[in-house]
Amino acid sequence: MKKILTAIFAMASASCAMAQETTTSPLEISGSVDTYFKYDFAKKPNNITTSFASDHNSVSLGMIDIALKKKTGKASFVGELSFGPRGQSQSIPDAAAGGSSFHIQNLYVNYDFTDQFSMTAGYMGTFIGYEVISPVGNFNYSTSYLFTNGPFQNAGIKATYKFSDKVSLMAGVFNDWNLYSATRGVSAVGGQLMVAPVEGWTAYLNVLSGAGAGGYGTIEDLTTSYQITEKFKLGLNAANYDIDNDGGGYAGAALYPQYAVADGVTLGLRGEYFKYKNVGAVQGLKYTAVTFTANIKSGGLTFIPEVRLDHSGDKPFFKESGAAAPNAGQFSLAAVYAF
Amino acid sequence: MKYILFIVLATFSVSLAAQQKQFSKDDSGKFIYYQVVDSQAVAKDTLLQRAKTFVNVLYKKTMKQENVSDSSISAKGTMVIDKTILVAGHPSGEVSYQFVCEVRNGKYRFWLTDLQFIPYQRDRYGNFVATTQIGTPLERTPGKLSAGAWKDILNSTYTKVEKFGAEFKKFMATSRVAVPAKKKPETISTKKW
Repeated sequence: MKKILTAIFAMASASCAMAQETTTSPLEISGSVDTYFKYDFAKKPNNITTSFASDHNSVSLGMIDIALKKKTGKASFVGELSFGPRGQSQSIPDAAAGGSSFHIQNLYVNYDFTDQFSMTAGYMGTFIGYEVISPVGNFNYSTSYLFTNGPFQNAGIKATYKFSDKVSLMAGVFNDWNLYSATRGVSAVGGQLMVAPVEGWTAYLNVLSGAGAGGYGTIEDLTTSYQITEKFKLGLNAANYDIDNDGGGYAGAALYPQYAVADGVTLGLRGEYFKYKNVGAVQGLKYTAVTFTANIKSGGLTFIPEVRLDHSGDKPFFKESGAAAPNAGQFSLAAVYAF
Repeated sequence: MKYILFIVLATFSVSLAAQQKQFSKDDSGKFIYYQVVDSQAVAKDTLLQRAKTFVNVLYKKTMKQENVSDSSISAKGTMVIDKTILVAGHPSGEVSYQFVCEVRNGKYRFWLTDLQFIPYQRDRYGNFVATTQIGTPLERTPGKLSAGAWKDILNSTYTKVEKFGAEFKKFMATSRVAVPAKKKPETISTKKW
């Protein structure tokens, strides 16, 4: 690993020295603010345990997210911080712990050696999966089981080669998931093959192997979306995670059809099947979930009304009385402003 | 007080003038940016050569030549539309266009049409990228929800197209590609003075 890193840094340094700065872009400032109301049908907060929007019968905060980006010649940086429950205690990691701090979403530098080849080092949104932490990047306001159980971010160094607009390949070495600094060294390798076979269709085949949640393991992930017509878009995420030594993991798939019914109004569905893998004799839970979501956009503001129904024969949910239940449901209304 | 009144009136006038900028429509109802330019004493072949250089050298990253004849050139291109407040902002989308230039001895005309907008969205890495490959024609009548945002897009696009037109005309008026000359750094001696 040390030799690989030394070679990468040597190559990067040499190319840096040869490269000439060309243009400077203005400082980009962007971000978002989100807030939500959620009502759990069993009146239990956190009845559905996927990430974010956990409160019940409360107008609650998501986060304020602020991102800076600057490009000078071939070098650029991105720094993105978030504050608020979604961006601190509910994200991993919380910079000062205890839910009192902030969360770094992205903090990396990038260098374009050529139009085809670039390298990036720092802390980045993960390349695994369909959904992201920022509510601006998701159609649904609640999140999937696949998102909640997969990595959120990866610190590391990665190289991307763009063969054409239709094919690119990324490979990198990373710390264990969701940590600003490694606890088990630079202990994971990952790769992503992007293909865009036809206009509007993009597919990412991802692999991440090494230290992660629960031990060493390997995730294989397919994330794809296809804008089939001007109004209809179909997304798919499928993943399999195996933790070494029979340590568990998960497998699942989620389908995301979306249809624009009017200017600024899109209706969408998320249907998901998810299963935790067995650990020894302990059976992993199985879930199915259906989420109906609308996105109503006006300028930078998006209203997101949503109804979600989850089912698990293993009864992990609660009734109002506190008894175990196989079903859970919730309604939420979120307002997300992107700038 | 007079000065303040003057500044307010001047600002208001500039604002009104800015609002009046809008695309004309062609015979088929599409937005068009159309210019006829007198370029006296420049031969047809020279003008065509300059137009080719503009498309294939100066704008090679964002334009792709489609057809060329002995008196015209056409290309497809894209331009990024920015949301910029003073010095900071971010790209809000890109506009694709069809570019045509026709030349004659001593004059030429060019136009941009088929203007389509593709919105950008911030991705997981904090970069602004296209959310779809399918563009929306700029001529569409927006719904009430997006009327304000659409007006901003139209204004930004017009400003960009106007700038593009000015650059094209400037380039057509000269005979060379702007290549920065490599100058030897000047050496200053502190021994003699």
